[in-house]
Amino acid sequence: MKNNSEDLDNPEHERLSTKELTLNLGPQHPATHGVLRLVLDLEGETVVKCTPYIGYLHRGVEKLAEHRNYLQILPLTDRLDYISSMSNNIGYCVALEKLFAIEVPERTQFIRTIVAEMSRIANHLLWLATHALDIGAMTVFLYCFREREKIMDLFERLCGARLTVSYPRIGGLKNDVDPQWLEDLYKFTDEFPMRVEQYETLIDKNRIWLRRTKGVGIISAEDAINWGMSGPALRGSGVPYDVRKAMPYGAYDKVKWEVPTGKNGDVYDRYRVRMEEFRQSNSIIRQCMEKLPEGPIMADAPKFTLPAKDKVLSDMEHLIHHFILITKGPQTAPEGEIYVATEVPKGELGFYFISDGTGRPYRMRIRAPSFVHVATLPKLCEGELIADVIANIGSIDIVLGECDR
Amino acid sequence: MTVNEFVKKILFIEILKGLALTFKHMVTPAITRQYPAERREPVPGSRGLHALVRNPLTGKEKCVGCGLCAAMCPSQCIHIYTSEGDDHKKVVDRYEIEVLRCVFCALCVEACPYGAVALTEHFEYSGYTREEFYYTKERLLENWDKYMAGAKGEEYFEKFWRPKSVDFATAAQAVQAKERAGQ
Ligand code: SF4
Ligand code: SF4
Repeated sequence: MKNNSEDLDNPEHERLSTKELTLNLGPQHPATHGVLRLVLDLEGETVVKCTPYIGYLHRGVEKLAEHRNYLQILPLTDRLDYISSMSNNIGYCVALEKLFAIEVPERTQFIRTIVAEMSRIANHLLWLATHALDIGAMTVFLYCFREREKIMDLFERLCGARLTVSYPRIGGLKNDVDPQWLEDLYKFTDEFPMRVEQYETLIDKNRIWLRRTKGVGIISAEDAINWGMSGPALRGSGVPYDVRKAMPYGAYDKVKWEVPTGKNGDVYDRYRVRMEEFRQSNSIIRQCMEKLPEGPIMADAPKFTLPAKDKVLSDMEHLIHHFILITKGPQTAPEGEIYVATEVPKGELGFYFISDGTGRPYRMRIRAPSFVHVATLPKLCEGELIADVIANIGSIDIVLGECDR
Repeated sequence: MTVNEFVKKILFIEILKGLALTFKHMVTPAITRQYPAERREPVPGSRGLHALVRNPLTGKEKCVGCGLCAAMCPSQCIHIYTSEGDDHKKVVDRYEIEVLRCVFCALCVEACPYGAVALTEHFEYSGYTREEFYYTKERLLENWDKYMAGAKGEEYFEKFWRPKSVDFATAAQAVQAKERAGQ
C-alpha cells in the first residue's frame, strides 16, 4: 500500500489509511510448513481475519486407493504425513486388520509399538526444530536434526528406506528386527533423555521463547474439543485424550506410560506436552524392547498375507494365494464399513473403509489431524499479532501432505 | 517475583546456560558430512536402483516373465513384454522400469516368486533426458553385475532380497541336472 508523504494531501488518503491490509502468507513461505496459504486481513499488526487456503499438495490419495488393491495402497500412506510415515503405515494396517479380523502376532505388536514411538520422536524432533527456527532459535534446529538423523539411520537399517518406510504389512511386518539393531536402538534411548534436557536448557526458560509462546494462541479445552482437535494440540488444552489409551492397539496396553497434558492451551503448553511425549515415547520404546517376545512376525492369514516364498513354488494353494493376492487383492474381504483411529504424532489419524468384498476398497477416507488443525488456525490467530501467526502454525504441527492428501 | 528469580533475570542466567551448552558443542567433533567429498556408506538393504538378477547357470536373467512384479507395482512403472520361444517356453523380450516413476517401495521384490529382481543400494544417478531413466533389461542386468559384484553385493542380496528360503530357479535346475547325471 502506498503511503508516501505527498499522498497525505490527497483526499483519497483518509479512505486508504483506514482500510485493512490484506497479506498473502504462503504457499511458498518457509514457515508455513509446506504449502499452506493464509490470507490475513491486518489492521496494523493485528490479525483481523485469517483464511487458510489448502489443496496445493492434493494428489488424490483417496481416489488412487480405489484403483489399487489393499496390498498396493501401503506406499501411498507413506506420503500422507511424510515426516512420520511409519505411523501412517501402522494406522493403515491396524484398520485393515480389524476389517479382515486378522489376529496379529504378539511380537509384531511390540515391534510396531517400538517403531511407531520412534517415528513419534522423529516427528516431534522435526517439529521442535522447525518451530524453534520459526520463532528464532537456530541452535535447537541443528541439535534436533542430529538426533533425527540417528532415527532415520535406524529406519534405514531396519527396512531400507529413511523417509518413506513402507515397513509394516497387513497382518505383520516386512522383516524382523535383528539383535544388533535393537542394541543400537537401546543405546539411542539411553542417551536421548539427556538430549531432551539439552533442548530444554536452550529454550525452556529462555525469556525470548517465553515471551513468544506464553499466552499466545490460547484455545480452551471446550473449544479444542468442539473444533475436533486431537493429539498434543488437544492435550495442551488440558484434555487427557489419547487414542493409545482410549482404544489401545499394538502393545500400548502392555506398557506403563502417562498422557502428558497442559493447562492453559497456549503455544507454550503445546510445546511442553510434546517435550514430555519425548520422554514417554522413550520409556515406551525401552519397555517394549525389554518385553519383546519371540515368535512369528506374520499373522497366519493366508487369504490376506503373502505366503512365505519357499511355499509359493512348492505348494499349490500358496501359489494360488500368491498370484491372486498380488493381481487382484484379497478376494475374501468382508463387506462392510469400518473406521479405525490410531494416534499418530500429530493427532488422531483415522482410516475409514467401505469394502464391497473385492480386493480393492470401494472408498477409503482418511481423517487427517492436520486437516482439522488447519481449520482451527483462524480461531487461534484472529485478534493476535502477525508474528504470532507463525508461532501458532508451528504449535499445531501441521503437514500439508496429510491435509491435502 | 522472588529475589532469587530477580537475580536470575538480571544476570541472564538461562541465556548463559544455553550459551555454555553451545560453546561446549563447539569443541565436540562435527557430525555433518561434506557430501560430494565425503560419502556415507549406504547400509545393506537400502532401497535404491533396481537390478535384474542374473542366473549363474545360464548367464541370462532369472526372470520368467510372470508379470507379478508389474501387477504389484503401485506406480505401475514396470513393463514386461514376452513372447513364445522354443519348446513353447515364455521368453522375456523386454523388461523395462521407468525409474522416474518408481517410489522404491520394494513391493516388486516381494511379489517376485523367483527372487529375480532386486533393489541395490545405489542411489546417486542422474541424467539429462527421460530416456536415461528408462531402464531396459540389458541395463538392469548390467546393474546387477555392477552393483552386486564382490562380497558386499552377495551379503547385501543374501541379507535382504533373496527369498528367505531355497532359490527355486537354480534349485530346480540343479535337481534336473542331478537327475540327468543319474540317468
Ligand atoms: S520399487 Fe515399488 S514402485 Fe518401484 S518398480 Fe518396484 S514396485 Fe514399482
Ligand atoms: S515377478 Fe519376478 S519372475 Fe515375474 S516378471 Fe517380475 S521379475 Fe520376472
